[in-house]
Amino acid sequence: MSSGQSLRPCGDFRTSYARDTTVFATPFTRNFALTFMVALLFAPLVFNGYYLTLLIQIGCFGIAALGLNIVVGFTGQISLGHAAFFGFGAFASAWLNNRFGIPVALAIPLSGVLTLLVGLGVGIPAGRIKGLYLAIATLASQFILEDFFSRAEWFTGGSSGAMADSFRLFDVPFSSERSYFFVVYAFVLVLYLLATNLMRTRDGRALVAVRDHYLSAEIMGINLTRYRILSFGLSAFYAGIGGALYGHFLGFVSAEQFTIVLSIQFLGMVIIGGLGSISGSLLGTAFMVLLPEVMEAGVGMISGSFPGLNQALAYIKEMAIGLAIVLFLLFEPDGLAHRWQRIKAYWKLYPFAY
Amino acid sequence: MKKSCAFVVVAGLLCLGAGSTFAGEIPIGHLNAFTGPTSDVGAHYGPAVIDAVNYVNKNGGIAGQTIKLDTVDYGYNAPRAVATYKGWKSDLKPVAIQGWGTADTEALVRFVTEDQIPYISASYSGHLTDPVGSSSHAKFAAPYNFYYSPSYSDACRGLVQWAMDDWKAKGGKGKPKYVHMGDNHPYPNAPKDACNAYAEELGFEVLPPIVYSLKPADAKAQCLTLKDTGAQYAYLGNTSGSNISLIKSCSTVGVDTQFLANIWGWDETAITAAGPAGNGVAWVVGATPWDEAKKNPMMKAISAMSDPEGKEYRALHYIRGACSTMFMVDAITKAAKAGKIDGPAIKAAMESMTDYVPKGLEGVCLPSTWTATDHRSTTHIPVYKSNLDGEQVQMTKQAEVLVPRRPEWLGW
Repeated sequence: MSSGQSLRPCGDFRTSYARDTTVFATPFTRNFALTFMVALLFAPLVFNGYYLTLLIQIGCFGIAALGLNIVVGFTGQISLGHAAFFGFGAFASAWLNNRFGIPVALAIPLSGVLTLLVGLGVGIPAGRIKGLYLAIATLASQFILEDFFSRAEWFTGGSSGAMADSFRLFDVPFSSERSYFFVVYAFVLVLYLLATNLMRTRDGRALVAVRDHYLSAEIMGINLTRYRILSFGLSAFYAGIGGALYGHFLGFVSAEQFTIVLSIQFLGMVIIGGLGSISGSLLGTAFMVLLPEVMEAGVGMISGSFPGLNQALAYIKEMAIGLAIVLFLLFEPDGLAHRWQRIKAYWKLYPFAY
Repeated sequence: MKKSCAFVVVAGLLCLGAGSTFAGEIPIGHLNAFTGPTSDVGAHYGPAVIDAVNYVNKNGGIAGQTIKLDTVDYGYNAPRAVATYKGWKSDLKPVAIQGWGTADTEALVRFVTEDQIPYISASYSGHLTDPVGSSSHAKFAAPYNFYYSPSYSDACRGLVQWAMDDWKAKGGKGKPKYVHMGDNHPYPNAPKDACNAYAEELGFEVLPPIVYSLKPADAKAQCLTLKDTGAQYAYLGNTSGSNISLIKSCSTVGVDTQFLANIWGWDETAITAAGPAGNGVAWVVGATPWDEAKKNPMMKAISAMSDPEGKEYRALHYIRGACSTMFMVDAITKAAKAGKIDGPAIKAAMESMTDYVPKGLEGVCLPSTWTATDHRSTTHIPVYKSNLDGEQVQMTKQAEVLVPRRPEWLGW
């Protein structure tokens, strides 16, 4: 965050705490972000279904990734069970809708609340343990929930999965990619703004204090257990809503979606995007969602000239994704958010780049 | 500048390339699992679909139009299949789909029914056989779902029927014990209740099911359980890769149960890989084995698409894949003759087939029948037993069991 403030014009001193914690550091960044958001509203007019699907995926996963960033990036805990929360939200929303007839538009936030309760439960051991022990505790919650998904016929439909109805508002269906994009867009906007604002409050700063040095935080009067559990609850809330949005988009929720692999992918998203960065969560998600697609397109082009290599290329693609992530972490350990700051600084300071 | 130009060109090609269909092309979606837990059999079935389509295209296509096949490896991940389907709907706009697994096919039933796209799956789940949803056991109506093969449930019923005859022929006394084995996954689960009910009706003592992983893994714990139960007959619901490891584990533990494998659960690869441990496994075979099938000129020509020298030995799954595709091709041909190639026309053409065998594949594919009220293509269950003599794979037909076509079994 500090690097963003270094781009302030000379002589722009902040004389109050309120001014020091504005959402956007400078008017330019604010205008830039607003322009981008407005431009994105026209995406359904420009892109075809395939690209919109990718954007919707980025939105759904991005919300969940932000939740994970609250636990990992802001509170300094570790969670290997994020995919299970994501799945719980998806199943809960489908269940609320199918079983009780609650409209999808209401079932999505409600499923967030249900997932929050589960997250608070998982957070209880997290209030007491740290580091690798915490990693294993959250791993256990991943497996417990995964097994629950494949056995709880009444809740998830067991191993066959559950059908999720499409989103409707006042009897208008939002089932196509084109219309559902706006639903996801609205949720992303609201939830990202909420998180940004959370980090500007006392509670948000308390989370960061727990991360930076738990002993100092405790001495300053921060209840460590309470904030650790709270951060797990919040992260589960975000994951639940992301999962519910994703479930209603696909129209089908199945236990095999929410494995440990997805949990690790979420970790990859926040690490690549930038730990402790709100916008980084979205950038990292975009990277993780788009990378396989770019690889797929590349493979598609190559296989045109080498027919018969199709099966081998499937493996090469998977390996290339792994390699790209390793290279990325080697050369950009601070994440995409940091890279973005560097690009901004380059243009701001051009031609005197030092 | 050059670089950025190239980038713009590539990006432009990508946008255009995403599924534009030219006039005179018949768009067909093809979901297959070259990767994931069922890749052991997907690696045989998928190439067959591709070869058969290439064969058709090379020989003039259908009514002067070529098939545009979009093959997607979805890694046996049902949500990815649903996502692929959604993608196809917006750009490929397929008139029919060659699908794969049970979880994804059952998840897509609602979508293909709504969009009227005939879906020919490689999942033979009994749930997909009721086009009107009239049966009390039916989970849903599946009017656009078809497949070439006996259903998992009917195949399992055929196996237990054979097992009962086997028990009597061996002079067994009392009630034989039967157990269902498979992963907790829609595919192995599909025939579980239906087949257990029939086994009980036939006079078996049905034991609680045993779960073993669809991904090949050591299964000694499950084999010890099996040994403890003392079951004489065990149905294996997983694919062959997983069954190889199970049967090897069981042979180590010393189980002498007669295994009854489902149609995907045993094949030439498995017989070779399991070695002597696999001798005597009984299973359902849904096509003529290669040694016979290769004498058919059309089958030979299809195989030659990816193997021009004709050296490859084609597994049973390959032959079934080719049959499934050629049934679809014949239905499209018929629809084209009637004037229109679209979902409802192809469905109608499929449902007009009675004891039908694709033209040119006589003696290779099983005769199949679909009607507007019954999508059980066949209830003739060919039961084979395997034996490995040195390196020589032997598959001996034991019986052709005819399972009754009871109305209450529709969709179950």
